[in-house]
Amino acid sequence: MAILTLKNAGFSFGDAVVFKDANLKISKGETLCILGPNGCGKTTLIDCILGINTLDKGELTLDNHQMKNLSVKKIAQKMAYVPQKHVRHFSFSVLDVLLMGRAPYTSFYESPKTSDRDMACDILNTMGLFHLKDRDYTHLSGGETQLVMIMRALIQDTPIIIMDEPTAHLDFKHELIVLETIARLVKERNLTLIMASHFPNHAFYLENEGIPIQVAFMNRQRIHLAGTPSVALTEENLASFYKVKTSVIDLKLSGKGHIKHIIPIQTLDNKIGQ
Amino acid sequence: MKKNAQTGRIRFYLIILGSPLVLIFLSIFLGRYPISVSTIFSLLLSPFTGLAVDPTDLSIILYVRLPRVLLGAIVGGSLAVSGAAFQGLFRNPLVSSGMLGVSSGAGFGAALALIVCNDFFYVYLFSFGFGLFAVFLCFFVGRMAASTQAITLVLGGVIVGSIFSALISFLKYVADPFDELPAIVFWLMGSLSRAEYSQILTAGVPITLGVVGLMIIRWRINVLAMGDKEAQSLGIKVNITRIFIIVCATLATAGAVCVSGVIGWVGLVVPHMGRMMIGNNNKDLMPVTFCIGACFLVIVDDISRLISSSEMPLGILTALIGGPFFIYLLKQTKGREW
Repeated sequence: MAILTLKNAGFSFGDAVVFKDANLKISKGETLCILGPNGCGKTTLIDCILGINTLDKGELTLDNHQMKNLSVKKIAQKMAYVPQKHVRHFSFSVLDVLLMGRAPYTSFYESPKTSDRDMACDILNTMGLFHLKDRDYTHLSGGETQLVMIMRALIQDTPIIIMDEPTAHLDFKHELIVLETIARLVKERNLTLIMASHFPNHAFYLENEGIPIQVAFMNRQRIHLAGTPSVALTEENLASFYKVKTSVIDLKLSGKGHIKHIIPIQTLDNKIGQ
Repeated sequence: MKKNAQTGRIRFYLIILGSPLVLIFLSIFLGRYPISVSTIFSLLLSPFTGLAVDPTDLSIILYVRLPRVLLGAIVGGSLAVSGAAFQGLFRNPLVSSGMLGVSSGAGFGAALALIVCNDFFYVYLFSFGFGLFAVFLCFFVGRMAASTQAITLVLGGVIVGSIFSALISFLKYVADPFDELPAIVFWLMGSLSRAEYSQILTAGVPITLGVVGLMIIRWRINVLAMGDKEAQSLGIKVNITRIFIIVCATLATAGAVCVSGVIGWVGLVVPHMGRMMIGNNNKDLMPVTFCIGACFLVIVDDISRLISSSEMPLGILTALIGGPFFIYLLKQTKGREW
């Protein structure tokens, strides 16, 4: 049963077409990893799915409802968003930021209730991050901020979470911490995850963790659903899509099973951009 | 430990919410006309004791000092709280309640009325009307960019504000230098010296509407501070909420400015005093900022009344008194809330 579908969808900024004839279908509990080079329009696609941009053509259905018939509040009860880079303006406490995730369930004159606070504390506890509760979130590291954003999405209590390059700007270890957290949460909560990424290895990582995942390639106004990472991320596809010569290795690790990973070898042309 | 933190918090709230009332009470004892403390007490208790009182004393306390102190409190509170709302809305700590041209529009309206008819009823009416008109113009300028995005509104505010400032300069230039010009200059520096109950009523309506509106929506200002995209993904109708906040803050500011003249500083710096004391969560910040603004303007006005026989304009004193206090707060808190 598809929880989110895009049918013949198109979007342009004025004359500049970002994508057209896009067809996507995501089932509940499934992950979609959108891969594409810089500037291919991944973020614009995500904005369309979130309802921040309105599609020019085609239609978007969310949980069997036409997106355009849903209120902003209803959409926020179905989809949560983790930004690529959160811009911090005022120093709020981590708890205050998490409570904002309850906004879709609060009337315009209300503020979060005690039950919402308890919910936030529960999530901090299960993530092992309770010590961050009263910390000023502008003083957190990039990795911690990203985890706070993920927790804010969790407290929003939606079946779908959308992440725009969740590991951008993170160091080696924090990248892995965020990926591990995502994998665990998707499994535990049967979440539907839509994730844009620069790194095809992230798709493999989630597949290695046993998550049902599909890969979509996005480039030159086209979005192409290419199947599971094992099917989609072949050396030939990577060469034609990224113009990069790669080697896909399959490593057998004791206790971990098979782990697939892409090793980039060299670029096939020296053009920058598309 | 947790219990202690909670009682500490409650105590802080009681102090901060009660302090305007205490200051209002204390301020009626202050003034240049000599009335002793015991006279004031017997005067206040006269409805119960039935003792005769001097009608001059009574009218000074009841019709001069009390309305003035009350007006100072609501003007200070509403300027501060609208400043805090605008700072959150535009995600910029350097924004003040006059951001969208309310103050310069109101200043122009007042100057025009002082020249054209020199009747204080029209001064209120014109300054209130032009204050709202200036904000409407900002929207109009913002609309040219086909959005109500924060940055186009801020730009609109800067442009509309400078147009009205130029118009004020023009009016000063053509004003009669012996009569009208001093009146305009004095109005632009702000004063509560004409305070009456009727003013509290006229200004009170827009101020109450605005402040109550901001108090109702205050938690959502937090969510807006996350950025438009995140706010929308959190279920907030960004444009409608933003317009609601602007309308409320404009009503509150225009209501205050039309009776008090342009009092700078309160709408910019008092919210930061609140931020240092209680943090940036608007749920707590907005009520606290209102109280600090109220206390601050009452104190400044007390000083203005006492410092010399010809009253010092408030616009001068707000910065002279607020500046050192702000530096003191900065030293105490190390500015940790930024």
